[in-house]
Amino acid sequence: MKFVDEFRNAQLGQALSGEILTELEPGRHYKVMEVCGGHTHSIYKYGIDDLLPENVELVHGPGCPVCVIPMGRVDDGIAVARNEGVIFTCFGDMLRVPGSENTLLDAKAQGADIRMVYSPLDALRIARENPDREVVFFAIGFETTAPSTALTLRRAKAEGISNFSCVCNHVTIVPPLRALLESPDLRLDGFIGPGHVCTVVGARPFEFIPLDYGRPVVISGFEPLDILQSILMILRQLSNGRCEVENQYTRVVPHEGNLRALEVMAEVFELRPHFEWRGLGFISQSALRLSDAYRDFDAEERFQVPGVRVADPKACQCGEVLKGVIKPWECKVFGTACTPEHAIGTCMVSPEGACAAYYNFGRYAREKEAV
Amino acid sequence: MTGRACEPDGHCITCGDEGILMRVLEAHHETAVCVDEEGERHQVAVELIGSVSRDQRVLVHAGVAIA
Repeated sequence: MKFVDEFRNAQLGQALSGEILTELEPGRHYKVMEVCGGHTHSIYKYGIDDLLPENVELVHGPGCPVCVIPMGRVDDGIAVARNEGVIFTCFGDMLRVPGSENTLLDAKAQGADIRMVYSPLDALRIARENPDREVVFFAIGFETTAPSTALTLRRAKAEGISNFSCVCNHVTIVPPLRALLESPDLRLDGFIGPGHVCTVVGARPFEFIPLDYGRPVVISGFEPLDILQSILMILRQLSNGRCEVENQYTRVVPHEGNLRALEVMAEVFELRPHFEWRGLGFISQSALRLSDAYRDFDAEERFQVPGVRVADPKACQCGEVLKGVIKPWECKVFGTACTPEHAIGTCMVSPEGACAAYYNFGRYAREKEAV
Repeated sequence: MTGRACEPDGHCITCGDEGILMRVLEAHHETAVCVDEEGERHQVAVELIGSVSRDQRVLVHAGVAIA
């Protein structure tokens, strides 16, 4: 398919890999964080790590929306789902995210009517088809997904659909990046910017990174050549002494973002004063809730939710993985007690999570190296 | 697409904040029928990108075209 095949060309990939070598300063170790879970997945799926020299290290960031959901929010969702007459809808990966005692999949097995949807618009369709039932959508995701939820709620309001509501867990990417940059135990040389978030918000929200913290950012596409070229652009900025936000993904990302999407988000959402992120703790103004105009669609107002903060399991080191402090395989339970089939931590649940991506695509290569 | 999202070697494209490149087959007022690279057809909401035309390429996330 046009715009896909040409970005998977192996010869061009090798050429880019060679160009990367020419930009390196001898003896320097480079740490580059890919912010988005989609990039983490592509890096492992296409073996991009193997095309990089040893002194260029990729650090996996907090941009997997499932991975940053704290257990207490999962418990809230399960409590809503267990209400009689409720049809509870969510994206596929959410089903297996552990709460304090159960997952949504467990609750479904115990009798709750929980259905997987691909789009919030599918949840709204279910509400239209079941006017005698309460239909709840468990909304997660960064600014890529938030417009879909906002559009769905705007349609629900316009159509007067009163049996539809939403548990809003949408988060925004800039506050956790700022928190990471303030973290004393993390040294980074640059960022691979989240291409699809930028499709919505544009490049401007990331300008604080070079301005305030002196680190380059390159907004990147998700095909293997996109990622390799973005790494090259970051290294080139460093070797030329430049520091700015560059856009590698110009075929999709306009500098100003998608103004229609931003408009519907501003109508439907407002910032929460603070929100808990798994592994990162509470971060101010880092998440969205429904605005006053849409308060009637807020499932947290319509149903009783526990709202209890639950500490992560002690054995799980998702927090350190999310901050890029340790690699997935350095976690004590990686691949033994914690696997995609029986995940302890959220990073192992979603294939965008660094642990699952490494388990699915990189584990065997490491075992071979060890022999 | 939903099924593919739950296979162990696949991934949930929505949870991954991933946009899927699609080609428009039929354009209507607020929706369009689009086809992805695997030939699968989808009903897509297009009101966030304005009007679309046949053969236009769009980036779709969670059933909504965002670019």
